[in-house]
Amino acid sequence: METFALSEPVLLVLLSLAEQPRHGYSILKDAESMSGGRVLLSTGTLYGALQRLLDQGWIERIEEDDTPRDRRTYRLTSRGRRNLQMEIERMRHLTKVAGLRMTRKEA
Amino acid sequence: MAFTVYCWLLCLYPGSYRDEFGAEMTSVFRAARSELPPALPAKISFYQREFCGLLSGAMRARFDHLFGPAIPFGRFSMQPQFRFPRSTVFLMLVIFAGVVLTIRMASSVAGDKVGSVWPSLISVLVFMVLTMCAAAAVVCGILHTLRRSGVHRLENVDRRMYSGESNSDQ
Repeated sequence: METFALSEPVLLVLLSLAEQPRHGYSILKDAESMSGGRVLLSTGTLYGALQRLLDQGWIERIEEDDTPRDRRTYRLTSRGRRNLQMEIERMRHLTKVAGLRMTRKEA
Repeated sequence: MAFTVYCWLLCLYPGSYRDEFGAEMTSVFRAARSELPPALPAKISFYQREFCGLLSGAMRARFDHLFGPAIPFGRFSMQPQFRFPRSTVFLMLVIFAGVVLTIRMASSVAGDKVGSVWPSLISVLVFMVLTMCAAAAVVCGILHTLRRSGVHRLENVDRRMYSGESNSDQ
């Protein structure tokens, strides 16, 4: 397993692309929607995350001839999907442990 | 005006980064700006978030460009001791401006010359912007010097030493 600490913006970007390929503005709005308006990504943060994910091969650009240069689409690679799945499993485990601990404390 | 500032801040990124993402970033910024609610606080919050995001993104991109992705910014940002809201920078600037302005006003009162506040405020803000630009220029100069000196290649040397390539050479 790749040990890579996912910040919340990066996690939201990955989750956004897990559903379907998206372009930058669509990712921005989807991240806001998923977090209930709590996480508002700036373009600097969004493209910083996209660049890192591209470099690590977690996402890729969909190259189409007719796509304008300022509206390129990104999608999750199989590697990115696998790592996201592992991160979700880790969070699920953590949530389960947290629930058990809180239950014991209340009892 | 805001778009001009945005483009100016985009120039702080490395050229390769601008070539790759610049057009997309400006396009997304325009789209997000077109959907802003008319309320002033929402606009201030949006521009503050965008400009602070660009500044921190440019710094990170410059470090990545210089040293590679070896500096674990992501891990730092996950740790509470390295986390602070970006609005802190903005509030610090406002507080600094307020302190300087108060000192100026106090000086005026002491000299029985209470003048208009706005010239002082504008001059303080101009001074602060110039100071920040000077600091940014110094940092860019240091980064450029480090790049020219080849410090960023040391990481590759270390990799070669430990990857066994050195053994095969011998």
